[in-house]
Amino acid sequence: MSESNFTTKFLKIFGIDNRGHNRRDPLNVWVPLVSIVLALIVSMIVIAASGRNPFRAYALLFGDSGLIPGGAAWRREFAELLIKSAMYIATGLSVALAFKGGLFNIGAEGQFWVGAIVATFFGYWAPVAHTFGAMYAALGSFGWIAQLLHGAICIIMGMLAGGAWAAVAGFLYVKRGVNIVIGTIMLNWIAWFLITSWLVTFNGPMTPASQTFTFGSFYVADTAKLLRIMMPTRLNTSILLVLLAAYATWFLLYKTTIGYEIRAIGYTANIGMETPRAQGINISRRIVQLMTISGALAGLGGCFFILGMQYQFPGTAIMGYGWTGIGVALIGQSEPLGVVLAGLFIGALRTGATSMQVANIPKTFSNIIEGLAVGFIALQVAVRYYLVKIIQRRRARRAPPAGQEAAV
Amino acid sequence: MKALEVRSISKMFPGNLANDNISFSVEKGEIFAIVGENGAGKSTLMNIIYGIYTPSGGDLLVNEKEVKIRSVEDAIKLRMGMVHQEFMLIPRFTVTQNIVIGDEPHKGIFFDYGRAVREVRELSERVSLTVDATAVAGDLPVGVQQRIEILKVLRRGAQILIFDEPTAVLTPEETVDLFVTMRKLQAEGKTILFISHKLKEVMEIADRIAVLRRGKLQGIVNKKDTNEEELARMMVGRNVVLEIPKVDVEVGAVAFACHDLHVRNKRGYETVKGMSFDVRGGEIVGIAGVQGNGQDELVNAMIGFSHPVSGSMELNGKNMRLVTTAQLRKEGMSYITEDRARRGLVMPYTVRENAVMGQHLGRPFSKGIRMDYDKLAEFAEGKVREYDIRPGDVYDTAGSLSGGNQQKLILARELSLPHNFLIASQPTRGLDVGATEFVYHKLLEEKKAGKAILLISLELSEILGLSDRILVIFEGHIVGETTPDKTTEEALGLLMLGVGIDKKVQS
Repeated sequence: MSESNFTTKFLKIFGIDNRGHNRRDPLNVWVPLVSIVLALIVSMIVIAASGRNPFRAYALLFGDSGLIPGGAAWRREFAELLIKSAMYIATGLSVALAFKGGLFNIGAEGQFWVGAIVATFFGYWAPVAHTFGAMYAALGSFGWIAQLLHGAICIIMGMLAGGAWAAVAGFLYVKRGVNIVIGTIMLNWIAWFLITSWLVTFNGPMTPASQTFTFGSFYVADTAKLLRIMMPTRLNTSILLVLLAAYATWFLLYKTTIGYEIRAIGYTANIGMETPRAQGINISRRIVQLMTISGALAGLGGCFFILGMQYQFPGTAIMGYGWTGIGVALIGQSEPLGVVLAGLFIGALRTGATSMQVANIPKTFSNIIEGLAVGFIALQVAVRYYLVKIIQRRRARRAPPAGQEAAV
Repeated sequence: MKALEVRSISKMFPGNLANDNISFSVEKGEIFAIVGENGAGKSTLMNIIYGIYTPSGGDLLVNEKEVKIRSVEDAIKLRMGMVHQEFMLIPRFTVTQNIVIGDEPHKGIFFDYGRAVREVRELSERVSLTVDATAVAGDLPVGVQQRIEILKVLRRGAQILIFDEPTAVLTPEETVDLFVTMRKLQAEGKTILFISHKLKEVMEIADRIAVLRRGKLQGIVNKKDTNEEELARMMVGRNVVLEIPKVDVEVGAVAFACHDLHVRNKRGYETVKGMSFDVRGGEIVGIAGVQGNGQDELVNAMIGFSHPVSGSMELNGKNMRLVTTAQLRKEGMSYITEDRARRGLVMPYTVRENAVMGQHLGRPFSKGIRMDYDKLAEFAEGKVREYDIRPGDVYDTAGSLSGGNQQKLILARELSLPHNFLIASQPTRGLDVGATEFVYHKLLEEKKAGKAILLISLELSEILGLSDRILVIFEGHIVGETTPDKTTEEALGLLMLGVGIDKKVQS
């Protein structure tokens, strides 16, 4: 074995077993990297074809993405990068976890909104908000304890709501055979119209009555807002929480009995899941549990959106965090660590995109890079094929295969 | 004339020399068999000849001309054709559509279905392989589907046909039909390469036989000059005793019993129509029957995959008619399946993860929800040694093991679960001689340990050799009960085909 014993022992300190569930395939790292590089190259061609300078575009995009330290605005950009990434990582984890169980949870978007609206509610609802407001005043310099508690309640409720929303789709799948893709996408629209046509609308139950025009829901109390951790930027604890969630997801998948069963279900999903079933694994229960946890992760992203950025459910809700999560999960190869890295990459693109406008490049150009990266990932069979060919050719050059001498 | 010649072909995979300097030649119009255990290198060799792999060294000659075969397209151009073990048919397409796919007759840019049907009919008449050109492929029996594959290959003008374990999926009657077809093709001057590990079939159909063992050619023998025992010795490298020793055990209490059991299949048809039998500790009850006479549905009911529509089913005296698989497992049911890929193992999972599935909850493999993967590895390492599972690295995926080793892994897992009733459904299907022998020994050990065993098999020799009692099933009924010393393969065979059964007096 080329893996050294030292590495194994070192990683073990962190509870990581690098002999892994199946020996880590280096291609799992190379496929996304190659896909991203290919996406960047093709995007350059697109930018050049539109008569603009691709090098300038990339210099602006990555220069202001927060990835590269230095410059006056770097701290702010870095903060924006992490705030955005936290949400993408949350929805990415949601989709990735469901993928691992063989489920295509296309409903992260709806679960994100449900999480957001419930977090908003517990953020401003008087009984809760007043209690923590009074507590904050009473605690004086220990007021942050009230902030932590109020934030925690909002997040827990948001996650439970997102989880429950996804569990509906899981339940319909298990009990009535409703395809998970159909179920989750339908629930997206139900969530969307419940919120925008009822809860957060002109004179809706969650909007101030005095409004003549809808500017979104009530604002959450100050105690519900996520603590800022890098003044003067608005960077908050969401990035720390999402890293914790990523670790928890990894732990769930690779260290628990639930994860063991989930992966067995996922690996056999397209051949009827008969092996785990024949071993007495309760597939229905696991699928509902898996959807619940997946939905809770998307809901967590919604909580970040409200408690860390908007402080209210906005009147013109920004769509797409859940959808982006699908791309993040794909680029991250559905592995928690990969999702974290992919989420940071997408966050960086979105952060730097605005700067490209200086060079007369629409900021949506970053979406082209994103889309292409996902596209190349979707073509991963082809990417893998060529990577394997390159590796084989290099190996063949290094060591001529045995039996060659027998050839004429 | 030599239709095909292989000269010093070698194929190196990382850490594994799959083919080691293999040379042989096949005469035109010959049926040439290649036998060997699973993992001996038969498939690798065929994939080289058919252009799927490139050899690490050596030459190929077709019609005595040296050729380079870099892809399947090259192989087809050289008039070769492969009939795969797993059919490559599109189930919703008609027979004709399946046969012409990839090389369709057309009128301008339109597919000329009428002409295609005519072509297929002409072809099937010419080679006397009867198919209904307009039937939907997915509705046809496996034997007919294979015929479609053969026609597809012939339509492309194949002169050299490679059959990769063609009988693995066939019933005994279908196998007979296939051999008739192969003889016809031979009479037409086609050359046939026949890959198999079933010695009986090889002895029946082949002219010459090449034996592979661990990537090396052990020898080429004329059928006339050899016998099954000699071939088995060459394949395994030692004498194999497929004579199953008699083990006498005192029969204990009833473990499993069912009465007037009725089960429906997935489409809602009743395919188990009132079966009653019991299995006692220390005995092997064999169920003999042609495939598709209710075996699958019976097993599904017994493992909790489907609930019987009526009748009773008891395990250790407890009613088990409407329970889950988990409850049956808890009560002591173990299950060896023939479908290792779908039902037996999670192929992308490692040996260690597969070895404990079903007993992974609770100690020693988990505490609460936390799973102890080190314990898994420890356990799997013990089982790998005990069952001689090769290559023996518990971090290898199950999918990378050969069929025999996969089956050993399944045995290791199922027999280490607490159980007193074992369902063995075609436990040696697709296994080579060595692994088959291993399975037989394990089953007899189980019997000695007082376990109740239900053996469902299509191989009559297996049923006769292992069972204490034999039940014959036909069209969902048990049509006879006998013991091995009171019957013969022929008598059982007739019973299995429903010969001489008065339908009204079925049990």
